[in-house]
Amino acid sequence: MTEEVKYDPWYKYGVIALYVEMFLAIAFSIFALYMTLTGSGGISRH
Amino acid sequence: MILAATGFFWCFLLWFSTAAFSPSIRAEYSLDLTDMAILASSAIWMAPIGRIVAGWASDKFGARNTFVIILIYCGIFSIFSSFATDYKTLFILRVIVASAGVSFVVGVQHVSQWFEKEEIGVAMGLYAGTGNAGAGIGMFLLPRIYGTDYSSAFLHLGIIALVIAGIYFLRGVDAKDEETRLRAKSTANVRGTLFVWTRFAAIALMLGYGISFGLEIAMNAWLPGYYALGFASNLESLGYTTVKQIQIAVGTFAAVQSFNASLFRPFSGYMSDLFQRRNWMPYPLITKKLPYSPRIHWLVTALLVITVSMILLTLAGLSGILPLSVVVLAIFGIAISFGTGSTFAIVPLMFKDRPGTATGFIGGVSTSFGIIYPLIFGAKALANIHIGYAIAAIVIFIPVILFVLWAMRYDESPEDHGIGSKEYWLGENTEV
Repeated sequence: MTEEVKYDPWYKYGVIALYVEMFLAIAFSIFALYMTLTGSGGISRH
Repeated sequence: MILAATGFFWCFLLWFSTAAFSPSIRAEYSLDLTDMAILASSAIWMAPIGRIVAGWASDKFGARNTFVIILIYCGIFSIFSSFATDYKTLFILRVIVASAGVSFVVGVQHVSQWFEKEEIGVAMGLYAGTGNAGAGIGMFLLPRIYGTDYSSAFLHLGIIALVIAGIYFLRGVDAKDEETRLRAKSTANVRGTLFVWTRFAAIALMLGYGISFGLEIAMNAWLPGYYALGFASNLESLGYTTVKQIQIAVGTFAAVQSFNASLFRPFSGYMSDLFQRRNWMPYPLITKKLPYSPRIHWLVTALLVITVSMILLTLAGLSGILPLSVVVLAIFGIAISFGTGSTFAIVPLMFKDRPGTATGFIGGVSTSFGIIYPLIFGAKALANIHIGYAIAAIVIFIPVILFVLWAMRYDESPEDHGIGSKEYWLGENTEV
């Protein structure tokens, strides 16, 4: 059974924002994984 | 919500900025594993009692005033800490600054005063998730910007906290209307507080939050040291050899947990809204008759996923494969976000007239778990630094989940059940 709900206008933007945040989290995790595999990641060797 | 999220974001940055520089501090003051565990644990010492007081204060005096006071004193002590010349002074000042974490309950109270029950999951998730990301961003960016110069970082973070306090004071409004504000204010009394504290459902939510958010903050403080010590040979073979390089690397790995736990939190709120909308209730032991029962079923799902991911973290650590540990850490962070987001999609609905007091108890006492975890993970009695995660999952998490199942079995007003009746604690004033 699905409940019918009417949301305020901000809600759809909130849902978009949460997808953006998830994308950032996944992208950051991939970057960290790249560091564990290559030993690089913006760290100066000097 | 934007003001609350911004203020909370900066408080989280202040809170865990010490952890971001833990390799530098360790090197400068020659700290051992036990010292590191205490330093990690100390970040959370002020949270339990501080959050209880802050939750009550936000009901009584308004979220705006309470948030501004927290930002001001934490900013000032962060500035003081930048001038510390010995470890003892630095440690004490950073414990005070770490109390910035109490601001979470103030923001929850603030958001709950503005949004309707159908939207509370996403609203709370966006507020708390965005705010919590401050820890991850701090661990990722601070060592890159400041290197090993943690004093300058503490100085600049403190100054900006004072600026945000000024903006919050000028632009913040306590509630969407006067009636909402006054209702919260009128319930902020000792009997109402004791009533909330003695409810089985509130205790269950508090314990559940202890194994989600309590764990998240413990890991924020613990993980940089964990990767520096537990994967030292891996780091060396990758070419991370100086203190600065190791600090940047372990800060980045640790931030994986924080980023996922923070940035997936709004998704958890969304899932709570979705469980509610679709009426999903898979577990036989938990009530299916409350208006928000599906949200409780989502919470239990989250707690089970966290427990499994803790055991996986131990297995990944024992394997000695650094990339595997980081991948599992990302999954673990997402599991944490499910737990934190699902809890605070329930609290404002179950204790709708005492949002600050309930949040102070659930979000406050639960943080004491965060003090305990690093001491378990870093215990010298354990065979190695990886095994503590599985031990915590078995000894603490499984009993907590069983208690949550028991406390959430009531088909009507679970918030009425506890030690002492509602009438005993509230007398004539029996609004929950």
